[in-house]
Amino acid sequence: MTVTAEKLVKVFPGVRALDEATLRLEPGTVHALLGENGAGKSTLIKILTGVLRPDGGRIVLADGAEAHFGGPHDAQRAGIGVVHQERNLIPAFSVAENIALSATPQRFGFVDRNAMRALAKRCLDQLEVRLDVDRPVSSLSVAQMQLVEIAKALAVDSQVLLLDEPTASLTSDEADRLFTVMRALRDRGHAIVLVSHKLDEVFAIADTVTVLRDGRSVAETKPLADFRTDQIVDLMVGRAHAVLELDRKAVDRAAAPALELDNVSTAGGHRDVSLTVRPGEIVGLYGLVGAGRSELARAVLGLDKITAGSIRVHGEPARIRDVGEALHRYRMGYVTENRKEEGVFLEQPISRNIAVTVWRRLARLGLVRAGDENALVATYQERLGMRLSGPGQLAGQLSGGNQQKVSLAKWLAADCDILVIDEPTVGIDVRTKAAFHELIVGLAADGLAILLISSDLPEMVTLADRVLVMRDHQLVGEVDNDHSYERTSQAVGRLLHVTGLVS
Amino acid sequence: MTVPGQDTPVREARRARPVISFRSTEFTLGVLAVAAFVVLALTTRGSVLHADTLTAVFQFLAVPMVIGLAQMVVLGVGQMNLSVGVVTGFCAMVTAWLMVEVGLPAWLALVAGIATGAGIGLVNGLIVVLTRINGFIVTLATMTVIDGLRYGVHGTATYQGYSPGLVRLGQASVLGVPTVFLFAVLVAIAVAVFFRRMTVGRQLLASGGNPLAARLSGVSNDRSLVLAHLLSGLLAGVAGVIVVALSGSVNATIGDDLLLPSFAAPIIGGVALAGGVVSVVGTCLAALIVRLVDVAQAQYSINPDWVDLIVGAVVLGAVLVTQLRGRAAK
Repeated sequence: MTVTAEKLVKVFPGVRALDEATLRLEPGTVHALLGENGAGKSTLIKILTGVLRPDGGRIVLADGAEAHFGGPHDAQRAGIGVVHQERNLIPAFSVAENIALSATPQRFGFVDRNAMRALAKRCLDQLEVRLDVDRPVSSLSVAQMQLVEIAKALAVDSQVLLLDEPTASLTSDEADRLFTVMRALRDRGHAIVLVSHKLDEVFAIADTVTVLRDGRSVAETKPLADFRTDQIVDLMVGRAHAVLELDRKAVDRAAAPALELDNVSTAGGHRDVSLTVRPGEIVGLYGLVGAGRSELARAVLGLDKITAGSIRVHGEPARIRDVGEALHRYRMGYVTENRKEEGVFLEQPISRNIAVTVWRRLARLGLVRAGDENALVATYQERLGMRLSGPGQLAGQLSGGNQQKVSLAKWLAADCDILVIDEPTVGIDVRTKAAFHELIVGLAADGLAILLISSDLPEMVTLADRVLVMRDHQLVGEVDNDHSYERTSQAVGRLLHVTGLVS
Repeated sequence: MTVPGQDTPVREARRARPVISFRSTEFTLGVLAVAAFVVLALTTRGSVLHADTLTAVFQFLAVPMVIGLAQMVVLGVGQMNLSVGVVTGFCAMVTAWLMVEVGLPAWLALVAGIATGAGIGLVNGLIVVLTRINGFIVTLATMTVIDGLRYGVHGTATYQGYSPGLVRLGQASVLGVPTVFLFAVLVAIAVAVFFRRMTVGRQLLASGGNPLAARLSGVSNDRSLVLAHLLSGLLAGVAGVIVVALSGSVNATIGDDLLLPSFAAPIIGGVALAGGVVSVVGTCLAALIVRLVDVAQAQYSINPDWVDLIVGAVVLGAVLVTQLRGRAAK
């Protein structure tokens, strides 16, 4: 079944998440949908599966009819199935019950168990998978659950299958098996859409590719054979992005490091990561999504386990057990990438959001005075250019950019001298983004040591003094950034392609 | 992958919440309470406004108020405490028993009663944190245990004839205001100060509102959980000693009917079940409104069996209104 998405537009307040994105799915092909975070992949998938409605453009099905999906159910009936990143299975149900969930065979209102098991077996056979259909799903491995999900999509006769990061939590053997299944489905005439950040696996299995950037399709359903990996990366990242010229104070390379990691390994899978950040220095940590950058930051702050190696703060060995300790003892802060979920208290006033890190310091006889908190708000409102109606305004009423500023302000208030800043400008408009860049440079000029995590290469080139490149939870190299996009991006690209790429 | 631009600049322009907003739950409840009083006064030809009746209204408001606050504290951290009612009863028993059987002086027995509540709360909190079992389940279990303990230890005994001074104090009024109500108001003010001004109180709300963000801001969610349960137990203990002072005799059935009111007050008062938002004023006003349902029952000689039905309907209605207003705001 051919499905064409033509010039889809989706506008969220303040952002065009999709801007005339076009995609054509042919039966019997594996189609890769690529793009960096915020490029619009999720939005496109949500429209194709009926979760969101487009604000413009149309979806045309095989018979030339225009599709109007009122909800996920309509898309499913039209033969479009999706396997989400987060599993949508009921753990206590058996494999058969899960596969037949949307199409349970019935007789006189009772579940026809034999027909149900037969259906499940038929679907698993199509995948050439042998699995006991009576086992509870909770007893399966992650890889097996994934296969059950695909079988579940087949049970409702899906001709188009969307797989969102299907190998994110699989071992390479399991991933290979999944690819075998995907090829089998392709050969049976299914159209498969693969969303993945792992370019090597994309090149291993996909036939055609669509690349999204800033909501636009910068490559529309092109044969993948026409591209090299670095060309795809260029398309995803975009060379047209302006690199901001900012006045940078030279870093004193002789200064003692503020933060040092020495052969750090973590429970999350990092091996032998060593790095240093000096006062006044912005060290970039670049890599594709899933490379393990945020996880490293979390481990440094005591949120994940460090299994080997050591951390030194201002030369002293540091054992950091939680963020409280990082903050109060080592004056280290973490500006999270998920500001909505982890960065702000939406239901609480801005004053409390900013003062949360310093209540202990503000309190006199255990009591915090609102005036002291409001003074903090005034300070950072001025310094960060926050647009607020007052310190009592709830954080949930702010725009994304201003929430991010609140999230940053609480660490500035805490007078940190080491800051880990994770994807500071995702989902933020261009003007606020530029303001943020100036702000971060200003913090470094004030002597803060900054570890900047970003998937936005132009941002890296603008801000970082050095760029460390992470791949598969390891540092694969370091690039001395001279703020020339051309040179730095090429060097970073070379590092990203060094090993294991199928060409 | 995030969906960008969840907010509009338009919403930013909306004014911050002033201290008293005409659209706030607290304001609505205040108007409702006054209106209910007026209606009661008019329909009973003023008998509600007689000094004796007024005294009774506020005397018996003290326990529901404090018990509502006891529940509110735990709701603030995003959990529930099913044991508040029986802890109140248990602490009342302990206090009375200490005076009658052990012969402790009244003030010491009161302190011990409140400490008992705090101790039970501490145990609740520690179990929640150490086992990671939800507080709902933990307190369901401790509720049952304490309930059993209450009857097991004291049987059907009734303790009375303790400290006449305490009972006199419990029945007394200052400038026409019952002392127990004044005491409850002081407790409410203390709770309000705790959440508004104290570091740990604010951290408790941070943990309840967004545990992830709290953790990433250096707040210990475990400490918040223990503290919330501890305070809840302590407040239940306070409610227990108010019962002792007010009633002059204590038996094992006290506290059995307090669980629903403990939820009714904060829920009607606009406290978020999901945690992070509390309202001391709202909880106290809601307790007053529930109290007025009781008063109306007495004044109109309604069959008392219907009171629970009315209270239940008020709770449901209040939650519905809160939800509708929340939706309208979006």
